Amino acid sequence: MNAGIEGFLQALNAGLLLGAHYGLMCVGLSLIFGVMRVINFAHGDFMMAGMYVAFHLFALLGLGAVFGSAAGPFIAALLAAPVLFLLGYLAQRLLVSRVTGTRVGALEGEGHYAQLILTLGLSLILQSGGQILFGSVPVSIPSDISSEAWEIDLAGGDVVVFVNQARAWGAAIAVALVALLVLVITRSRLGKSLRAAADNVQAALYMGIDVDRAHRITFGLGIAITAVAGGLLASSYPFTPYVGLEYVIIMYAGVVLGGLGSTVGAFWGGLLIGVIQQCSALLLPTQLQNTAIFVVFLLVVFLRPQGLLGRVSERT
Amino acid sequence: MDDIRKMVAPGRRALLAGAATLAGTAAGLGPARAQAPAGGTVKVGLLVPLSGLYARFGQLMRMGAELGVRHVNEQGGVPALGGAKLELLLFDAGDSTEKAKNAAQRMVADHPDLVACSGAYLSSFTLSATEVTERAELPMLTLSYSDLITSRGFRYVFQTSARAGDQAKGALPIMLDLAQQATGKRPETVAILTDNTASSLSFVQPVRDGAAGFGLRIVMDETFTPPLSDATQLIQKVRTARPDMMVMPITVISDVKLLVEKMNEFGLGRGRVPTIGAGIAMAQSDLLQNIRPAQLEGFITVVGNWDAKGQEAMIEEFKRASGEPWMGQNSIATYGDIWIMRDALQKAGRADRRAVAEALRSIDITEGAALYYPGRRVKFDATGLRENAPPVVVQWQNNRPVTVYPRDSATAELFWLKR
Repeated sequence: MNAGIEGFLQALNAGLLLGAHYGLMCVGLSLIFGVMRVINFAHGDFMMAGMYVAFHLFALLGLGAVFGSAAGPFIAALLAAPVLFLLGYLAQRLLVSRVTGTRVGALEGEGHYAQLILTLGLSLILQSGGQILFGSVPVSIPSDISSEAWEIDLAGGDVVVFVNQARAWGAAIAVALVALLVLVITRSRLGKSLRAAADNVQAALYMGIDVDRAHRITFGLGIAITAVAGGLLASSYPFTPYVGLEYVIIMYAGVVLGGLGSTVGAFWGGLLIGVIQQCSALLLPTQLQNTAIFVVFLLVVFLRPQGLLGRVSERT
Repeated sequence: MDDIRKMVAPGRRALLAGAATLAGTAAGLGPARAQAPAGGTVKVGLLVPLSGLYARFGQLMRMGAELGVRHVNEQGGVPALGGAKLELLLFDAGDSTEKAKNAAQRMVADHPDLVACSGAYLSSFTLSATEVTERAELPMLTLSYSDLITSRGFRYVFQTSARAGDQAKGALPIMLDLAQQATGKRPETVAILTDNTASSLSFVQPVRDGAAGFGLRIVMDETFTPPLSDATQLIQKVRTARPDMMVMPITVISDVKLLVEKMNEFGLGRGRVPTIGAGIAMAQSDLLQNIRPAQLEGFITVVGNWDAKGQEAMIEEFKRASGEPWMGQNSIATYGDIWIMRDALQKAGRADRRAVAEALRSIDITEGAALYYPGRRVKFDATGLRENAPPVVVQWQNNRPVTVYPRDSATAELFWLKR
């Protein structure tokens, strides 16, 4: 057995699969920031809500019995999206819209202080509300494939790579969703209105675009995407109402790495974080896995402040 | 302005109460003492996390304590105090050492008539809470494992479990002997895989320091920061090292799932690499909602307390009342703590925290409360550590964790795969 090569391939494989999940989370956050210029501190907690919705839909609809416990968790994750879209849509309509869009002109610091306080408040409400509603017992969506792997023999069986089936399917769904989102943003009328609202709110209004509606859809969509990412992880990762805290920093790092406001960049940022996190354990003590992420993060900020795919120039 | 006054008012009252307590202390009177009237109630406290990340563990401790209070009261309360009933007061230690300390401060300021308390789940919480209870001369019983708890010269803290380091020193030779009996060959290599929490590090330190003395060679030694996002790299290292056994103390449920499932995925689970953990996470009932129990078969964990022969009726009642599939160390320990408090009150003859502490220092019982502690004897040494508290070894067998050591408490035999 060639331990060195096998270890590297195993780390790369784990990093790519996990990174695709991170990437999807980052895309949701990036979409909201890119279009609305809102730093959503409650994003991890909306992801938590998505995980619980997927968990309960799986049980209530008997998705395990209908689709099998291999496919059922993924169906549950996808079904959580419309529920969380609605939640995000309403949250934007009732709360976030008061400190964003055309109202920011009347607020101090272009509304950023109010946005910060509001989303932090939402985060606390979601965590505490989650604990009241769902309790503190860690749960996960039961899956037959969360501990099953495809064994890939290389070099005549000298090197064996285990590809976790749940993570692999989750990563494939994440990539497909990002591709679909890019298509929607670049090719559809809806995408055009979102891009117009992102580029210049006043100009978009003058052109007859309903910016508030664009923002509502953006917020709902961003949260729904991240909720799916959470749902995809929910079969291999036990979660509690506080799980958002564990991922929100990774989401921010991924979004900044990829380039603030760049949807595709956010996906690559998340993917890169997954790879760094897993491969760093080959060279550094495992305790420093997350430290390695932020060392690379700081290097990127230092050498390329706009991120991997971010734009250098200011928006018009 | 009125709103501000309303917000300030309770704080001012608490401040005045605190000032009064301080004034009393300065005058040499000590904190206010309660003398329970015959047939009245005596207040005892439970300081555990009831909100935040660790709320689940606090809830389990609460269930055990509430059952203990009910049983004590049903069985006549404290006869020496005219049959006084116990009243349990709950205090939320939250999810940080700061919150635990603040809760302890509220507990001693608002309830000067409290005679004893139990808590505070995490060793770090217990260490900070006991800084407060020590000054208030309030006896605190704890299951927390850290070696530091009873090594600070404190007089009002009583540690009922074996300390983490002692658990490893006590359990490892037993494991090695059993392995030799089962396989005819003593394990020669060991992998250490631990998170970096205080109790886990205390557990692995004697293994690191004394591996050679146990006849073991360390072939892998990895420490990680919980919670893990993926266990692939760690288990890949185990696969490469091919140890005869693994020491793996883990404190977070999500890490248990990731590691156990990855071991099974890599063909190392279900006893193929005999694995010894430490602490409750590896035997928590919550695992049933997250891992197929068959995947846990054979995993061993060393804990401070677990169910034992002779507790069957109480455990059945607990299961019926709580809906839990078994009664783990957190619930049994607080149940037992309530009985120790009752025995101490009985010995003290008055509802006075200093007298209760004095009774705890001199208590030596092998019946009653002692039934709920491994070794079945409750006697504290000068530091407050329970003397000769043995480690309890628990192993997953037939989809549930069962006690396999000490032998007088064991409900099943330990098994070690022959290959």
